[in-house]
Amino acid sequence: MEMPKVTRRTFLKVSAGTGAAAAAAPRLLTAMENDLGGKDFGPVSGAERKAIPVNCHVCNIQDGAIAYVENDRVVKLEGNPEHVSTRGRLCAKGNSGMWYSYDPDRILYPLKRVGARGEGKWKRITWDEALAELTEKLDAALKEDPNTIMLKYGRNRTGGSIDRFMKTLGSATVVNHTSVCESSKKVGMEPTWGPDIETPDFANAKYVLNFGSNVLEASYFHNPLSQRVTEGRVDNQMKIVTFDVRLSNTAGFSDEWIPVFPATDGAVALAIGHVILREDLQDSDFINNWTNVTVAELKAHYKQYTPEWASKISGVPVDTIERIAREFATTKPATLFTYRGPAKHLYGSYNEKACMMLPIMTGNVEKKGGYCLPRGMGWPQPMPEPGKPTKDSYLSHPPDYPLAAHKVSHLVPFWIAEGKQKINVYFTYQDNPVYTNPGSMAVWGKLFKDEKLIPYLVSMSPFMGEETALADLILPDCPYLERWEPESMPNSLWPWLGIRQPVHKSLGESRENRVLLRDIIHKLDPDGKRGMKQFWDFKDGEDYMRHHFDNVPGLKEAGGLDFLKKHGVWPIYGKLDPKTGKVSDKTGREIKADYGLYLKELSATDMAGATVDGKGIISKNGKAIGVRRDGKNCVGFPTGNRLINVRVDQWAEYGFNPMPTFKRIPWHEAMKDDDLILSTFKLNVHKQSRTAAVKWLAEIAHSNPAWMNPETAAKLGVKTGDLVRVESAVGHLVTKAYVTEGIHPKVVSIPTGFGHWEYGRLATLKLKDKKGEYSHGADDPDLNNVWWDDKGVHPNNIIPVVADPIGGSQGWYDTVVKVTKAGPNDKYGDSEGNWEKHVAAYKETMRYAYTGDLHRKMHPEMAAWAGPDSVKHKAGGGH
Amino acid sequence: MLDTVFAIERADESHVFPAEIGTDELREECLARASIYRLLAGVFVEEPSREFLAALRDEALLGQLAEAGVRFAPDFLATELDELAETLACEYATLFASSGGFPPIESVRLTGRFKQDPNFKVTQIYQAAGFALGKGRFEVFADQLGVELLFVAELLERCAAALGTDQPADYRRLEKDIKRFWTQHLGLWVRGYSRLIGRASNHSFFREMAKFLGGFAEEEIAAMGLKRLEDLDMGRVVVPKSEIQVEFNPDEPVCCGCPPSSDKPIGGTGNVHKLHDLRF
Repeated sequence: MEMPKVTRRTFLKVSAGTGAAAAAAPRLLTAMENDLGGKDFGPVSGAERKAIPVNCHVCNIQDGAIAYVENDRVVKLEGNPEHVSTRGRLCAKGNSGMWYSYDPDRILYPLKRVGARGEGKWKRITWDEALAELTEKLDAALKEDPNTIMLKYGRNRTGGSIDRFMKTLGSATVVNHTSVCESSKKVGMEPTWGPDIETPDFANAKYVLNFGSNVLEASYFHNPLSQRVTEGRVDNQMKIVTFDVRLSNTAGFSDEWIPVFPATDGAVALAIGHVILREDLQDSDFINNWTNVTVAELKAHYKQYTPEWASKISGVPVDTIERIAREFATTKPATLFTYRGPAKHLYGSYNEKACMMLPIMTGNVEKKGGYCLPRGMGWPQPMPEPGKPTKDSYLSHPPDYPLAAHKVSHLVPFWIAEGKQKINVYFTYQDNPVYTNPGSMAVWGKLFKDEKLIPYLVSMSPFMGEETALADLILPDCPYLERWEPESMPNSLWPWLGIRQPVHKSLGESRENRVLLRDIIHKLDPDGKRGMKQFWDFKDGEDYMRHHFDNVPGLKEAGGLDFLKKHGVWPIYGKLDPKTGKVSDKTGREIKADYGLYLKELSATDMAGATVDGKGIISKNGKAIGVRRDGKNCVGFPTGNRLINVRVDQWAEYGFNPMPTFKRIPWHEAMKDDDLILSTFKLNVHKQSRTAAVKWLAEIAHSNPAWMNPETAAKLGVKTGDLVRVESAVGHLVTKAYVTEGIHPKVVSIPTGFGHWEYGRLATLKLKDKKGEYSHGADDPDLNNVWWDDKGVHPNNIIPVVADPIGGSQGWYDTVVKVTKAGPNDKYGDSEGNWEKHVAAYKETMRYAYTGDLHRKMHPEMAAWAGPDSVKHKAGGGH
Repeated sequence: MLDTVFAIERADESHVFPAEIGTDELREECLARASIYRLLAGVFVEEPSREFLAALRDEALLGQLAEAGVRFAPDFLATELDELAETLACEYATLFASSGGFPPIESVRLTGRFKQDPNFKVTQIYQAAGFALGKGRFEVFADQLGVELLFVAELLERCAAALGTDQPADYRRLEKDIKRFWTQHLGLWVRGYSRLIGRASNHSFFREMAKFLGGFAEEEIAAMGLKRLEDLDMGRVVVPKSEIQVEFNPDEPVCCGCPPSSDKPIGGTGNVHKLHDLRF
């Protein structure tokens, strides 16, 4: 038989025509690297990679993730399909998390400052040297007053070890970051129904009112909730109406985007409530049975909030308000979601309260497709535990803000500067107020540069952020892929417990935070005679986790920590169906959530010895434990009286309106025609301050022009790309304009997360700027691939402090600015804030506190209030 | 540059070593080279100690270094020893051990991040050669410059031992191992990196020692006859923007927001897309 003569050329020719036939031939081999669901394979070697489940911690949604490791190196991150909330998906941020571990600017050794604060001169020292120096300072501070040791944290997910550390030292001076986050949302909700957040059941809703949340991109709980928003929209034809000053991607995904004048969401919500009550569309049974007001009281109270009144304030047409009110009340089930839009204002707590009243008055609470309570799980703390500090701290519990349960951290620099509390040692953990807070460098930078006010600044950080750059001592903490941490987040309708666990050995000499804190305590109390060491008796992070997890009922039987190490999350509710993307049970049906939690019946044991009053409140040992309705003993809501408190009596004690209300921001009323309001927002690939150095994310988005409406831009003669000067009462900046219809004409909006002056080479592009300078000498392998020159302009220097007198929140979106075309002396990137002007803003906002002179003026309806002296402060202590 | 002081002959690049060189001479040369590797490792592996600096300021050594072109300034020569150690510790932290600096680590230099492939590969090489990485004053990565230099020093001392005990086969194997290590690791980055540190350092000690490292590396590469060994360290090679393939417009003044200025062409290749319809 004659064989065909095949040269390389001829067979290549043949191959050109083989496409269809080759495609039709059976394929018996599939690349395992393409498998979905908790496995991953090296694309070249084909070898299965080690899969270690963790909880993501790039932002704070706490998605379930899996780190794939080759050779002790993370090569890939993806979603954990066993995680009931996030169901195998990670966002862009989560996919990029390994860059934290390997960032060339990461701090791997203890560093001691050797130049002036902020000069950037350091000496590497050993842990022994660092701990010796630190404990000497702590010893001196403890002798004077434990409260002179302060710890302020940002993203603290240690599960209790930070508090344990400060309690061990006997200091109550623990300050969080929540007032720049969402504290007025929390305080708007907590006294009303107990928890600090809602879980909207988007997947089953027919109608959604979204006030100021960008859940498809950034807000709590972006990943799990955006999945459910999409399901609701696709599977359920859910209608979404978004009130926002900006056309976010969530607003764009909505059926209606209603650009509302900043800070007036609450007025719109009250007017919607007015229409619902006026037209008798409310759920009277729910109101009468489960709230502390009657329908009649509510109708009487809401009568004042007419659509005409709200329209005048908010710019939302009367007929739009009326239509939406009818739609919301008559479409069942319906839900509502809010985030920073309503809450980050002078009276953000009132705004939040006004919004949450809508699902309450329509009876959508705890219904399938409705507005549900959050579901979470707790864990026990290792024993023994240190007791509460004996003396309270002014900075932790400022007496002018007694209702701000989540503190007022952004006013702390002014209080320290005023001498309200002396600080000797200041610890910072996962915080960066020099960048993230109002006033930014002009306020916090000024504070930290003053060695009289902050004599010793210790940063526990893996990165040289703007705050860490001002430290005296840096203790290298670990990024999240090297830490043990317990987790639970109410980010879906199914509660879960999870862990973060080290997926590779920590780099250099970094130590995870709880170990680092233990080492400080052990150095302070080596032989245990000071009574501190007993609270830090654990071998390592894993040992600490065993104390948390090995005795949780249910989890214990499943294997405790060992189960979590293997799966990352507990319980496993079912299997992720790759076709639907939903979690299915053994029968193949999607798992069902529990609803009506407040209707859960108390057991006979619970009822033993309980009494029931005339209103049906069930009490035991002097505490309300439930509510009797229709002959059933229900657990009710987790409030003091087990009801939803539409009327919050505690607010009235301090002269605040206890009923749903709205206060217009006085300086907004006084705006001139050419004044604008400055708002900020996050892009979907960045969080506030810790992603600008993550290279995949930085490449996607690295600068932040100011959004302006064409109408506004035309008045100024500005087009996209032109330089503009944005000037507030406390400073100015110069940035570029981005002209778009997607912004309210009275608003200029600048994304945050950009314009770093520290935080590493990618965030700052310093190596490009300062070629030849000693500390940022010359070319760098990464920066040679950086094709952008613009790092953006950070707006916080020019944002003054505003504190919600109830919730303590920063009024991020209350700043009135003047925008002009940049002048000849303005250059891109200028950003200047003035300390004295910021102090003036601080003094002004204190006037709105319940002790301030404007409080009564803002609350004429509370004329009967007897004034601040009528309020007796409760004795405080502890954290 | 180093020929005189350290007796390393400029080799004919077509040969590994001159054939006429005797065993004793070769052994001496191995030990001499090893001592230079150790000297350089002492500069870069951690902050130079007072004792190390005192030894370096020995007049004879300074003279030899000067002949090799290494000329320290008064900041090194005329500063009291304790103060010098302190100053250099700070300079070390600035250059090598804190944010914004230039970690002397192969993974960082070649991949832009810590603990990547080079780290694991050199670890395997050390293990195969029977070495384990211990801790000095600080924990360092396996692909830290000082550690890589120490490894070659160790191999050179083994070479000397092999020559001293008449084991030519072992010597040749070790010699190949050194060449392979240079080809796969040191040779890929130390030349560019040394130039970078020479430019970036504020202090004549690191500046001069970086130059010395660069010269020594060139010399070693030539002496070992390692041809076409390209230095991949970006400290030397600047990639022109035009060669970078990006999805977006590299000349874009404002990411996602603004059109390019009229005097600059957009991109340069067919795969560059305007962001016009993708903004935010």
